[in-house]
Amino acid sequence: MPNLKLQARYGAVAQGFHWIIASLIVVQFTLGLTAAGLPLGMHKLNVLARHKSFGMTVLMLAILRLLWRFRNAPPPLPSAMTPIEKGLARTTHAAFYVLLFALPISGWLMSSAKKYSVSWFGLFTWPDLIGKSAPAFDALHATHQILGVAMFSVAVLHIFAALKHHFWNKDDVLLRMLPFTKSEKRS
Amino acid sequence: MRGLSRCVLLPVCWAGIALSAAANAAGAPTSYTTDAALSRLEFAGTQAGAQFKAVFHEFTAAVDFAPEALAASSFDVLIDLSSVDSQDNDRDSTIRGPDLYDVAHWPTAHYVTRSFTKTATGFSATGALTLRGVTKDVPIDFQFTSSATGAKLDGTASLKRLDFGVGQGDWRSTEGVKDEVKINFSLVLTPKH
Repeated sequence: MPNLKLQARYGAVAQGFHWIIASLIVVQFTLGLTAAGLPLGMHKLNVLARHKSFGMTVLMLAILRLLWRFRNAPPPLPSAMTPIEKGLARTTHAAFYVLLFALPISGWLMSSAKKYSVSWFGLFTWPDLIGKSAPAFDALHATHQILGVAMFSVAVLHIFAALKHHFWNKDDVLLRMLPFTKSEKRS
Repeated sequence: MRGLSRCVLLPVCWAGIALSAAANAAGAPTSYTTDAALSRLEFAGTQAGAQFKAVFHEFTAAVDFAPEALAASSFDVLIDLSSVDSQDNDRDSTIRGPDLYDVAHWPTAHYVTRSFTKTATGFSATGALTLRGVTKDVPIDFQFTSSATGAKLDGTASLKRLDFGVGQGDWRSTEGVKDEVKINFSLVLTPKH
């Protein structure tokens, strides 16, 4: 049964998913952009190997997070928000979920197309999704970059919105995702 | 047919038949050449935890072999290292480059057997591989299957790339690229005429 009692705050598990995935996204941008600037060589391959391992970690966490979300409804948005604001918030969150899947999967496809199979921290190797293809690699590489820009844009919007809720609207939208805080009725 | 009937009439030819029969009895190996289009010489390495495979498109293998004549058998394989193909141009050019094969200085690898032994599943050979100016023993295990048109050799070997200096500078690290490299081959042999 889905959680019928509406919670005012995100639970510990939802908070855990949020902050772990958020940190991994920062790591992923750092590694991805570092690798893009490096010449072909051992160092670049090592950075990319870490990028791929963390990327697959994000994909696995995204699956678990979505399953958790289906069974545990997030707290409702403040009633003071207009329908347009609520629509924008829901669209932003949906875009995050799409990107949490699309970015790692496009990367996995890229690696498959270039015949650089994806290892998970050297512990096991994920199967290649498609066969070797240089044109497919180029298209997927471009897609991966566009999705990265999209992720960055959505994240900026998300952070801006969270800060606006906290400092402008003075509601508990930010606090209810922060561990070790208490949501209280603010003005 | 006509050749055989002509042979029957010639004593010199009888001597030839007798000699070759004697040689077979003493265990003379058959000389084969490899059919490059049907044969495959492949290696598998591990980079960042994930396996990658590469083949050599250009190589020649002179195989003298008979299961009953191991002492006189031999393999002599010459590999054109530039023909390496790992299905990615970036990786191929890196492998050919100065830190790995360095094909500009050492364009070929050469493998010559010294001795053969029968094993439970097939045969094993001891031989020396010369790669990047270093010669070192690399044993191989293989199966030999005769067919109507010749024979087939399927086998495996394993070597450490750093034994041959394949990995200079950054590439010396075995965390990025494992030291162990596995070799697989499947050679289609046709008897020499």
